[in-house]
Amino acid sequence: MSSFLQQVINGLSIGSVYALMAVGYSLVYSIMNFSNFAHGGVIMLGAYIGLYALSLLSLPFVAALVVAAFGAGLIAVVLEKIAYSPLRRRNAPGLYFIISAMGASIFLENFVVATIGPTFRTYPQIFDSKPFMIGDIALGRIDVLMFVISAISLGILMFIIEKTKVGLAIRATSYSAKGSAFMGVNVDWIIFVIFILGGMLAGVAGMLFGMRYTVYPQIGIITNKSFIAAVFGGLGSLPGAVVGSILLGLIETFASVAGYSTYRDLIAFALLILILVVRPTGLMGKATEDKA
Amino acid sequence: MLKVEDLNVYYGGIHALRGVSIDVEQGQIVTIIGSNGAGKSSLLNAISGMIKYNGLIEYENKTLPHHAHKVVKSGICQVPEGRVIFANLTVHENLKMGAYLRNDLKKIQEDFERVYELFPRLKEREKQIAGTLSGGEQQMLAMGRGLMSAPELILLDEPSLGLAPLLINTIFEIILEIKAMGKTILLVEQNAFKALSIADKAYVLEQGQITAQGSASELLKDETIQEAYLGKKNK
Repeated sequence: MSSFLQQVINGLSIGSVYALMAVGYSLVYSIMNFSNFAHGGVIMLGAYIGLYALSLLSLPFVAALVVAAFGAGLIAVVLEKIAYSPLRRRNAPGLYFIISAMGASIFLENFVVATIGPTFRTYPQIFDSKPFMIGDIALGRIDVLMFVISAISLGILMFIIEKTKVGLAIRATSYSAKGSAFMGVNVDWIIFVIFILGGMLAGVAGMLFGMRYTVYPQIGIITNKSFIAAVFGGLGSLPGAVVGSILLGLIETFASVAGYSTYRDLIAFALLILILVVRPTGLMGKATEDKA
Repeated sequence: MLKVEDLNVYYGGIHALRGVSIDVEQGQIVTIIGSNGAGKSSLLNAISGMIKYNGLIEYENKTLPHHAHKVVKSGICQVPEGRVIFANLTVHENLKMGAYLRNDLKKIQEDFERVYELFPRLKEREKQIAGTLSGGEQQMLAMGRGLMSAPELILLDEPSLGLAPLLINTIFEIILEIKAMGKTILLVEQNAFKALSIADKAYVLEQGQITAQGSASELLKDETIQEAYLGKKNK
């Protein structure tokens, strides 16, 4: 029983970080109707920013986390300006955005390989590796931290989306950009906001992943999982992205426990194909014709 | 109040508006009548800054900016064809979106009350998701949402489209009430008889050109217009 609970916590912890990344996909998809495959690059850069904020600048953990969040948010906005904004002005089809996103993703990865180098780097040890003990349940400190920080970040995002004026405008624009423009919403501003929000969460996720595992230029590939989670939950739906991520985290964890850890990715991608065949809108997604 | 001069709009190779000029005076209802595809919506969308155009659009003696959000800021609001409400938001949130550019919380609250007074049905359905409203209620919501931006000039695009005759009467009565609030209205309609009967001034738009203009009562009596748009045979 105790090991079962332990695994649930592990699953929640990994799932919550997937959720941080998945909401980034969903935010962009809900407004712009394409999957931003450069999101992994932003997460990777967030991981490096967090690493250097800790090791070179010797910032305390929370400060480094904030720096990673803002740094990644800024990168996401610049990326939008360079890779997507010109396409938007020309009303280019969704496929062009995806190709541009993939190009940007490859560029960022290789840019880091060429400048920082391809080697694996580890975060300095900040937290005691000794687990928390609750009764006879052992909880890794970093796992608990990942879950808590992710939950707080997602809570802030949900507050912005549900309770603020800009959040209302984001929800309105996700239904009809034209309707929003008629109400005086500057859609460029909304796109700026979703990229900065998605980017900041990506920075947090990158730093958490970096701490849990290691940092390397291809770490962005982890976003494949959060993309699957976003599709699973329903692209464009934020609650869907969170639910899909948590489920995927739990499924993966229990697959590992059952002795199928080498099948973990296989299971995740099988799930993606299954969802696309059986229920393309995911658990909570909006129905659109063109899922680009 | 609003002056459009020599307006030209092109969609690719199609010349949708050909040198259109109109004048809208404060406090009036001005209507543009014409058949499907005559360019009525293009005219409104050009004024709203939603499409590209050549020509002059002046509002209160200043050239109107060419960006949709800046047009709304200057006091012009469009209630678009097909309503374009936010079906994923509640009725109340839709109205709130209408007040997106405003910060005068007290006045916004007053306008909420005024809109709910004008459309009691919306008050009843305040918390309901807008996508579940009937067509007539959605039209009311779109008009209420437009009013929430506290516009001086309201552009109404086909408010009667797809509504039952009884409801059409209600909508036109509400348009008169909005006029009585001191708003100026530019009304685009296919239902020419209804539009002419409430308007002060009218323009006939045919294939992108203004082919007739005058007071609404004059046009209502004009034989060619009766034949083309009011379904009357004079011979």
